[in-house]
Formats: sequence, structure tokens, C-alpha cells
Amino acid sequence: MADVKKYGFVIDPRRCIDCRACLVACRAEWNTPEGQTRIWVHTDGPHGTFPNVAQTWVPAQCHHCETPWCVEACPTGATFKREDGLVLIDSEACIGCGLCVNACPYQVRFRNKETGKADKCSGCYTRVDRGEMPACVATCVGGARLFGDFNDPASTVSQAIKGQTVYRPISENVNTGPMTYYLAPPDAAQVQVTPQPREDLSAEVFWRRWAIPFVKLAVGVTFVGQAGAFILQLLRGENEYEDGAV
Amino acid sequence: MSDEIISLEQRNALQRQTLVKHHLANILTHWFNVAMWLLLLPTGAGILLNKVYPASNSAWNNLLRSLFGGTAPLIFWHGVWGQVWLAVLVFNVLIGFRKYFLSFASTRMLLDRDDIRWLMIKPWHMVGLRKHVPLPPQDAYNAGQKLYSYVIVIGTFFIGLTGMIMVYSEHIPTTWQWVIQWAMPIHFLAVGITFAGVIIHVYMGAIFPEERQAFFSMFSGKVNGLYAYLHHRKWYLHKMAERGAWEAQYRQKYREPEVAEPPAPSRATGD
Repeated sequence: MADVKKYGFVIDPRRCIDCRACLVACRAEWNTPEGQTRIWVHTDGPHGTFPNVAQTWVPAQCHHCETPWCVEACPTGATFKREDGLVLIDSEACIGCGLCVNACPYQVRFRNKETGKADKCSGCYTRVDRGEMPACVATCVGGARLFGDFNDPASTVSQAIKGQTVYRPISENVNTGPMTYYLAPPDAAQVQVTPQPREDLSAEVFWRRWAIPFVKLAVGVTFVGQAGAFILQLLRGENEYEDGAV
Repeated sequence: MSDEIISLEQRNALQRQTLVKHHLANILTHWFNVAMWLLLLPTGAGILLNKVYPASNSAWNNLLRSLFGGTAPLIFWHGVWGQVWLAVLVFNVLIGFRKYFLSFASTRMLLDRDDIRWLMIKPWHMVGLRKHVPLPPQDAYNAGQKLYSYVIVIGTFFIGLTGMIMVYSEHIPTTWQWVIQWAMPIHFLAVGITFAGVIIHVYMGAIFPEERQAFFSMFSGKVNGLYAYLHHRKWYLHKMAERGAWEAQYRQKYREPEVAEPPAPSRATGD
């Protein structure tokens, strides 16, 4: 077993019966405000006509990406990636600007309406640190949600995907290295977890394209200008009676 | 500075003369500002951590996070110091609005015709050209210092406003989240532009020989007459007139009572 862990999820939509016990467990664990949730069970069915009707449910949550765009977007460092792979939010450091919410291609982040801070699935890191499973995984009666260390070949998740056809929710334009593997999801349900490319907010564009280069230029030019003037001053010397300087 | 010839004797006499340029309140406010900038600028730069906004070096970010014990305490103390800074400035402005702020703004910040001419000539002088064209006389602050004061006042306003938005961002509803999103780049821009001005201010105020008197005046409150005469002629003449008026008034108030004329000796009459 490797020393460094690499946590992630395995989801088997075939085993999900949409009981939503996971949503209840998550809310109970993290006290998420009513009307907001950290995890979802997506569906786009039912498909077909009676009596040949089918419906698939696709559990989803933050994928704790290997190269998370939310971490890159966060201006304060409130969103960060732990060594074990979990992407977390330091609520005390978060100013609730929502840049990370906009940056996430899976739209699994939201601004908590009670705290005013960014919120999302934390992988139940407090439970994981105690050696327990995340609340949603521990509650899932059908075993549709699995969690574990992908660096450990004997872990539940490593065993679950071994020799299986898996779907990783990436697209042609977006590959953030999501640490969620779906076991044989039907095509229709894939749409629910396929990432969408982000569109930069106007404030971000202004900051990156205009404010930062302008400030760099202004500070750089004045600093170089004053440094040059100082060197010139040293070369010229000073006159006691000339300027009233003494 | 004009091309007027001033003899060495006159220069020495002027150098011995002292004029009060800053009162204690100005001096304390100035150094309080300096202290706050020294606390706020490094911590503010330390907060900006990520690759998309490479405004500050990651080693600096890591060092400050280690010193403060993490991101949250760093942001907390930056916010606390920022609010202390603003509270003192707002208190100063509100309490001294008519007596101090308005009179300062109207007498020391407004640009007049001489200032505009000064701004047109000074850049040439700075690069060593058109030295034969004399600079028009300046008031207590020259036109460059007046422009800098606008940068400071406007910059401080935006830094304070956007800083307060970020400190109390959790109370802003999500539908108004754009206010927080815009507060960040505006805060950054206002700090950056003001800091560029501070670089010039520090050099011109503390190192540049012609204005070094201004640096020492930020401790003593006083400048010598030669500096005032050469660089702030209008202000110097105004101060001299003010002194003359005060002295006349003083003499008028405390002049010795006129000695009564002794009564004219009456002619002795005798029979």
C-alpha cells in the first residue's frame, strides 16, 4: 500500500434505486441549508413506452479533481487540495466571491445561503480521517456509492473498477482529472455528469487581462524610474546651498 | 524654482529661518498611514495565492501563511488592520471635516494656473531639458504633490470601500455576488496604483535632495526658509504676510497704553 493516498469515488448507477438516503445522510452530517445540497442523484428518464420503460439514476458529487479548476480560480487560497486528493474549502478564509462556483465545470459548488461561503462535498474528510466512510457511502443501501484509496490495489474502489469498463466524466474540452469512476452508465445519464467548459466572469477578465498587467506596469515603471533618478542623484552629488536641502 | 539670484548670505539667513508646515495631527496621521501600509501591503500580497492571478510570489504567500498560522488568520488580521486604518481615517475626516479636511482640500489640493504651468514644465526639467524656463511659484504643495494627493484620496476611498465589501461579504446576498467579484480587482487595482504613487512619494519625499526638507518636516513639522522660498514661494510669501499680520495684531492688542500728557502747567496768577 502506497504511503500517499489518492481518494476518490466509484459510482455504479445500476445499483442506485433513487432512495436518496445519501442526500439525507449528507444533509444530516453537514447541516446543509434547505433547498441546497452537496450531492445529487441525477436522472433523465424514464425512457421508452409502457411496458418497456426504464430509468437510471446517476449519483454525483464533487469529483475531487486531480487538477481542480476551482483551486486555480480561488483568489485567496481558501479552496485547496489536500495531499490525499480531497479538495476542501477553508470557510474561515473564503469570502464567498463565487469564482470557484463559476470555475467548476461540473457545477457541484454553490454559495451556502446561510454562511455566505462556498460549499460543496468535502468527501466527509472528518469521517475519513477517523477511518470511516463518507456519510453518503456509509448510508447507500444498494452499494451504488463507493469511496476509497485508488493507490491501494486492495481498496474497495480499486477492486470495483478492476477489469470493468469505466466512464470518467471528462469531455473533449474539459479534463480536470475527476476522481470519480462510473461503472457502465447508460449514455443518456452520462450527459448529467459531463463537464461543461467554463465562461470567465467579466470581473475575472478585467482582473486578469487589465488590472494585473496595468498594476505590474505602473509599479514597475515607477520603481525603475525612481531607481534611475536615485542613481543619477548619486552620480551628480548634492549641493548644500543649492536646494535648501540641509 | 526661479532663476533669481540669491546671495550666499541670504541663503544662510533663509536656512536659519523655520516655518511650520505640518501640525501634530498631520504628522501622526502620516506615520499612522505608513504603519498601516507596512502591515496591509505585505499581508494583502500574501493573500493572493494561485496561478491564475500571479500577483504575488508563492514563496511570500507560504512564508506569511506560516507566520500567521494559515490562510484564515492571515485574511482575518489583514481585515482587522484594514478596519483600524479606515476607522482612524474616517474619524479624522468626520471630526475635522470643516476645520481640517475642507480647509486642507481647498487650500492645499486645488490646482491653479501656476500648477498647470508647473506640470507642463517640470517633466522637461526632470529629464534635463528646458532648464532655462523657470518653474512658476508653488503653494504649500507643488502641483505634483497635489496630483499625488488625488491618487491617495481616491485610492484610499476605493481600497476602503472594496475592503469593507470583502470583510463583510458573507452578509451580501448571492444575487449581489457580483459586487464581491468586482470588489477584488478594484481593490487590487486601487492598491496597485496607490502603491505606484507611494514609490514616487517615498523617493521624492525622503531621498530626492531638493525635497529632503519635506521628509524631516514629517518629524519636526518644520521646514527651513530657503527650502520654502525656493520650492513653495507662494506659501512662503503667504506665511511671511501671515506673520506680519499676526505681529501687527499682537502689537495692537498688547501695545503699551499711551502715556498721558502731563497737564499743562497753569499759569500762576497772583495778585
